[in-house]
Amino acid sequence: MAPMRTDNRKKNRLTAMVLFTVAGGMVGLAFAAVPLYKLFCQVTGFGGTPKIASQPPAAAPSDRTITVRFDANANPALPWRFLPEKTQVTVRAGEPALAFYRATNLSDAPLTGTATFNVTPFKAGEYFSKIDCFCFTEQHLAAGEEVAMGVRFFVDPGIFTDPNTQDVTTITLSYTFFPATGGDGKEGEKPQQVKAPAPAPVAGRPVKG
Amino acid sequence: MADQETAAPGGHDHDHHPTGWRRWLFSTNHKDIGTMYIVLSMVGALVGGAMSFMIRLELMDPGIQFNLFGAGEEAAYFQFYNVLVTGHAFIMVFFVVMPAMMGGFGNWFVPLMIGAPDMAFPRMNNISFWLLASALVLLLVAAFTQGGPGTGWTVYPPLSSAEFHPGPAVDLGILSLHLAGASSVLGAINMITTIFNMRAPGMTIHRMPLFCWSILVTAFLLLMAMPVLAGGLTMLLTDRNFGTAFFEPSGGGDPVLWQHIFWFFGHPEVYIIILPGFGIVSQVVSTFSRKPIFGYLGMAYAMVFIGFVGFAVWAHHMYTTGLDADTRAYFVSASLVIAVPTGVKIFSWLATMWGGSISFRVPMMFACGFIFLFVMGGVTGVALANAGMDIAFHDTYFVVAHFHYVMAIAGVFAMFAGFYYWIGKMCGRQYPRVLARIHFWSFFIGVNVLFFPQHFSGMAGMPRRIPDYPDNYAGWNYVSSIGAFITTASTLLFFFIVWRTLSAGEKVPANPWGEGAKTLEWTVESPAPFHTFEELPDMTDKQAAE
Repeated sequence: MAPMRTDNRKKNRLTAMVLFTVAGGMVGLAFAAVPLYKLFCQVTGFGGTPKIASQPPAAAPSDRTITVRFDANANPALPWRFLPEKTQVTVRAGEPALAFYRATNLSDAPLTGTATFNVTPFKAGEYFSKIDCFCFTEQHLAAGEEVAMGVRFFVDPGIFTDPNTQDVTTITLSYTFFPATGGDGKEGEKPQQVKAPAPAPVAGRPVKG
Repeated sequence: MADQETAAPGGHDHDHHPTGWRRWLFSTNHKDIGTMYIVLSMVGALVGGAMSFMIRLELMDPGIQFNLFGAGEEAAYFQFYNVLVTGHAFIMVFFVVMPAMMGGFGNWFVPLMIGAPDMAFPRMNNISFWLLASALVLLLVAAFTQGGPGTGWTVYPPLSSAEFHPGPAVDLGILSLHLAGASSVLGAINMITTIFNMRAPGMTIHRMPLFCWSILVTAFLLLMAMPVLAGGLTMLLTDRNFGTAFFEPSGGGDPVLWQHIFWFFGHPEVYIIILPGFGIVSQVVSTFSRKPIFGYLGMAYAMVFIGFVGFAVWAHHMYTTGLDADTRAYFVSASLVIAVPTGVKIFSWLATMWGGSISFRVPMMFACGFIFLFVMGGVTGVALANAGMDIAFHDTYFVVAHFHYVMAIAGVFAMFAGFYYWIGKMCGRQYPRVLARIHFWSFFIGVNVLFFPQHFSGMAGMPRRIPDYPDNYAGWNYVSSIGAFITTASTLLFFFIVWRTLSAGEKVPANPWGEGAKTLEWTVESPAPFHTFEELPDMTDKQAAE
C-alpha cells in the first residue's frame, strides 16, 4: 500500500508526459500523411495518378490495342480555351504515342497555367505512363497566343494481364488547367511547384499554333 | 495500512469547499466538474435538439416550408438549412454525447468506481471543461457569422474551402473544433493517468468495473484520433487563409486526402460516442439482473479490440471516391470484423440477463432500449459495410437512419440509463418513477417512429442534407416528422423530470438498487460527499467489482 499523492505525483507526471507525446506524435502523423499520400498515389496509381517513365518500354509492343480518350478543362479563373486536337486515339499497348492539346489565351494579358491530370478508370493509372507532358511544367501564354502542347505516353501491356483491369478497353486522360500562381495566374509572379517530379521538359511547346 | 490511510494528507475537512461562483469557475473537484459537464450537455441537447426539430419541420412536407429569408432568397435559406444540419451534428457529437459520457459520468464515477479521491490532474480537469464551454460559444458564434458554416460535420473541401465558404464562419467553426479537441485530449490524458495510477489497493485492472474499462478505451481513442483531426483542420485553415494547397487541386493538393484524414479521426469518433454507453449499459444490466456481468474479460477486451479495429476501417465512409476493388475488399472485411466484438457484447448482456433476477427499473428499461436500438443500427451497419450496397446507399437517408440508430439514439439511451441509474448518487434524490417510465416509453416510440421510416425513404433514394424532395418521399417523411414531435415532447418531459427530481425527489440511501449494485460508488452516501476516498478503500479481498 504505497501512500498516495506524493508518490503518485511523479508517476502521474510521467504517464501524462508519455500520453502528451503520443498526442503530439499523432499530430505529426497527420501532417506526415500529406507527403506519404502523394507518394502512395504516385507509386500505386491510386486515384488514377499516371506513372511517369523516363523512356519507352524496351519490350516489343503488344498486339492488343486500347482506346485512349482525351479530356480538357480550364478552370474558370484562367481565361483559356483548352481542347484536345483529337478526342481519341487507338494505340497498341507498349507503343509510345504522341497526342496534342491546343490552348488559347483568350485574355489580353500574359497568363501562366499549370495542369493537373489523372486518368479514369482510376485503376488504369498504374498502367498509364507518361514520358513527356506539358503538365510537368508551367505553361506561359502571351495575350491571345495559341499553342499546341504535347503529351507522350504509353499504356503498359500489363493492363491485359492484371485481373482487375480486364474490363478496361478505354482510358480517359483528363487535364484541368489552373492559374499557376495562387490568384489570377498573371505572369511575373513566383512560379509554383507542380505536382509531379519533372523529368526534362521537352514537350512543353513543341508546335506553335 | 490503517495508519497510513488515516494519515492521508490534504488537511481539508469533509465538504469544505469554496462557495458561490468560485466553486464552479475554479473547480478542481471531479464531482463538480462532472456536474458542470452534464449541465453543459443538457444545454447542448436543447440547442442541438431544436436544430434537428427545425430540420424535421422543414422536411415534414415536400417543398420549402419555412423560408425565413423571404421569396427570392432561397439560396440563403438553403445555406441556413445546411448550417442547421452542420450545427446539429457538431453540437450533438461534441457538446452533448461526449460531455455527458466522458466528462459527466466519466468524471463523476471513474474516481468513485476505482476508489480514487479525485482525478490525477484536477486543474487540468478544470481547463478541459472551460475549453469545451468556450468551444460551444465559438461554434454558436460561427453559426451566426455571415451565413454560418454549412459544410456538414465532415467539412469536406471544396465545399469548406474559401471558394465556397468565404468569410470567417468556417474559420470560427474550425477554431471551435480545435478547442473542443484540445479539451478532449487533456480530458483523455487525465482519465488514462487516473485509471492507470490511482486505483485503490486491490483494484487490479482486471477487477475494474466495465464502465471504467469503457472510459479507458475511449480515452485512448480520443488521444489518438483528436490530434489527427487537429492536424487536418489546421491544414484546412491554412488552405483557407494562408494560400497552402493541401486540399486544393490547383496547387497540386487533393480533396480526397481530407476525407482520409477526416475519417481516420471520424470513425474512431463514433466509437468514442458509443463505447462509454457500452460501459454504462454493462453496469446497469448487471445491477438489475442481480448477477455479475457475463464474460467480464471478454467484454473488456471486446472494447479494446473495437478500439484497435476502429482505426483501420475509415475508408468504408469513402467507397464512392473510387477505391479499387482490392482496397474496398479490405475495408469491407475489416468493417465486418467489428460485428464480432460487438456481437460478443450483445450476447454477453443477454447472457447476463438470462437466469437473472431482473427488475425493470427505469435505468434497466433504457439499457434494454439501448440494446434493441444498437442491434437495429448494427444490422444496417453490416449491410452498409459492403461496398457494393454502400455505393447505392451512400448519402441517402438509409445511412442517416443507420447511424442515428447505432450511435446517436443508442448513445442517448445509454446516457438516460446512466442518468436514471446515478442521479440518486449525484443529487441524493430519486427520479419520479411514473414520469420516468412515461419518458422511456414516449422516447422509445418517438425515436423509432422518427428514424425507422428513414430506412424506407433512404432505400427509395432520398438524399441527405437536402431541404426539399419529390412528392414520392412525402409519406414516410411525414411519419418521421410525427416521430420528431413525440421525441421533442418526451425530451421536454425529461427536463421536467430533472426539475422534479431536484426539487421534490425522495431522498435515497447509499445504495438504492439492492444487492445487484456492487461497485464502489454505492458504498458512499447519497449524494456523494464532496470528498470521497480520502482513505483508500481496500479491495484486496473483495470479489471482482464488475
